Amino acid sequence: MNDVSLGFIFLDALLINNFVLAVFLGICPFIGVSAKFSTAWRMGVSVIFVITVSSVLAYGANALLVALNAQYLRIITFIVIIASTVQLVEMFIKKSSPALFRALGIYLPLITTNCAVLGVALFQTAREYSFAQSVVYAIGSSGGFCLALVLMAAIRERLELSDVPPTAQGTALVLMLAGLLSLAFMGFAGMGGGS
Amino acid sequence: MNPRADLPPSGRLIRLMAVVSLLCGVIIVAAHKTTLEPIRRNQAAISRENVALLLPGASRQIAYGLTPAGEIEILTGDPAGREHFLAVYDQAGSLRGIVWEAAERGYADLIRGMFAYDPEGQKVTGFRAVELKETPGLGDKIGTDPGFLANFRALDARLNQVGDGLANAIRAVKHGTKKNEWEIDAVSGATVSSRAVGRMLDRSARRWTPVIQRHLDRVRKGH
Amino acid sequence: MHVHATIDPQDTVNQDAFLDGLWKQNPVFVQVLGTCPTLAVTNSVSNALAMGAATLFVLVCSNVLISLVRKLVPKQVRIATYILIIATFVTVVDYVIKAASITVYKALGPFIALIVVNCIILGRAEAYASRNPVGRSALDGLGMGIGFIIALLCLGGVREILGAGTFLGYPLFGPGYQPWVLFLLPPGGFFTLGAWLLAFNAWKRRKEKTA
Repeated sequence: MNDVSLGFIFLDALLINNFVLAVFLGICPFIGVSAKFSTAWRMGVSVIFVITVSSVLAYGANALLVALNAQYLRIITFIVIIASTVQLVEMFIKKSSPALFRALGIYLPLITTNCAVLGVALFQTAREYSFAQSVVYAIGSSGGFCLALVLMAAIRERLELSDVPPTAQGTALVLMLAGLLSLAFMGFAGMGGGS
Repeated sequence: MNPRADLPPSGRLIRLMAVVSLLCGVIIVAAHKTTLEPIRRNQAAISRENVALLLPGASRQIAYGLTPAGEIEILTGDPAGREHFLAVYDQAGSLRGIVWEAAERGYADLIRGMFAYDPEGQKVTGFRAVELKETPGLGDKIGTDPGFLANFRALDARLNQVGDGLANAIRAVKHGTKKNEWEIDAVSGATVSSRAVGRMLDRSARRWTPVIQRHLDRVRKGH
Repeated sequence: MHVHATIDPQDTVNQDAFLDGLWKQNPVFVQVLGTCPTLAVTNSVSNALAMGAATLFVLVCSNVLISLVRKLVPKQVRIATYILIIATFVTVVDYVIKAASITVYKALGPFIALIVVNCIILGRAEAYASRNPVGRSALDGLGMGIGFIIALLCLGGVREILGAGTFLGYPLFGPGYQPWVLFLLPPGGFFTLGAWLLAFNAWKRRKEKTA
């Protein structure tokens, strides 16, 4: 069905159709966890990890559902997979690297409600990506989420030093900044689309 | 205090989850079964509507797919999900034209379009954007701009000598520089989207025109 | 830990369960929940309406069912049960929209399925439906759902009027209007919601000052 190159899928998911700034997925953690740079990049890395693992599992589960002709169970299957992936990743990190677990610990459970995770699973299915395409897409889009989160955290740390009118503090300001970032990312559109 | 002290027996938990899952399964399957027929009707209606706009006077259509051996076969049931083209017939039963669907990456997202093809004159006679998420006011003009759509009134799609591809590659050229019958005059300000339509048409025409011409007799009779 | 509602159920009249969601506890403007669909599908009023109606349906149905089974479900598996129930109704609404109109279905795309992770729904299940009777839970779902629709319409209206010069597809300003296309694009979504929140903040501060 589609023969889109892996490089283009990656670029597209990372920059052109950035998950946060163009597709509007994962806005809640983007607003909630972007106050400090150090927590933002940890959250970003955990999300890359979880999205990649759950994308692989979702690809397998979808193939199984198609084989059984039971596509109507797709949404419920994906959400169960994501919830269990988060649990598994949490247990795995706890066993294999306690230091990393201490750093990421509290962010992992939050990821279940991150719509970007379900978004990747749904989009890769809707676009009929192959296995390799799905994995590249998962890494690209979660990388894009991480990028947007880290950029926003860096901006917000700077803002701490400036004098913001009280009415504009909080979420309203973050959304305005996100709008500017999104405007900047629109410049990537058309990249790789042929001259 | 032992945190597990107040945990109910796992047998009860499992039984409860099983009941909940069963209930959910019943609701989902019921919804799926009752909406199956309306969804199929909707899809067929939209497809017929698009075909009627591309080829006015269409009254009947047959979906042809390809066998692994390269022969054509009539697809019964829902042709979506399989590569196919539609042979469209008028009231009298004679072949009105061919319609196929194609997709290509545009500026923002995938563009899906339908093309009408006249196998007798070997010309593309129409284009409709079925799915379009290009920039509003610029890229989405490829679906509405009358000047752009006029490109597809009689676009040259002749086969080459051997009959395995197009004589001339179809492509979109910058607005106002169209010189040949097989070129598409791009919408000014939407060159990337226009070129995507050009690539989409070139690729799908390369795919289908040799097949259609090879089996034209069969398609004319509709069997 | 199963926290019981801090307020005595007798104190609140049914009306509050409904009215709170509309404005005072508006899920988008006050609680800032469900931001993703609020931004993603509000580039036209009709999309906003369809998304709002779908969410309202899921919210009411899952609130009712969760309230019905609230006494049977042990707290250890309650979140898993809620998610199963919510995913079920989202699947139902997905099929219903597809059967009603393919055009709307394509416009909303995967965002219908993403209602599952809309925090408003799980939030209401946990905070309200799991500890209130069926009737009141249904009203709460209705109020929150309509509040969500109001918020979506506030965004969709501004974005469609400025970005396309139309409302529900009807041209408003005549052919001379040059649409402010930016508002249909992603940055416009952020700017519009940001502006609404600014307005809400300003209104709240003024009220606090006069109080």
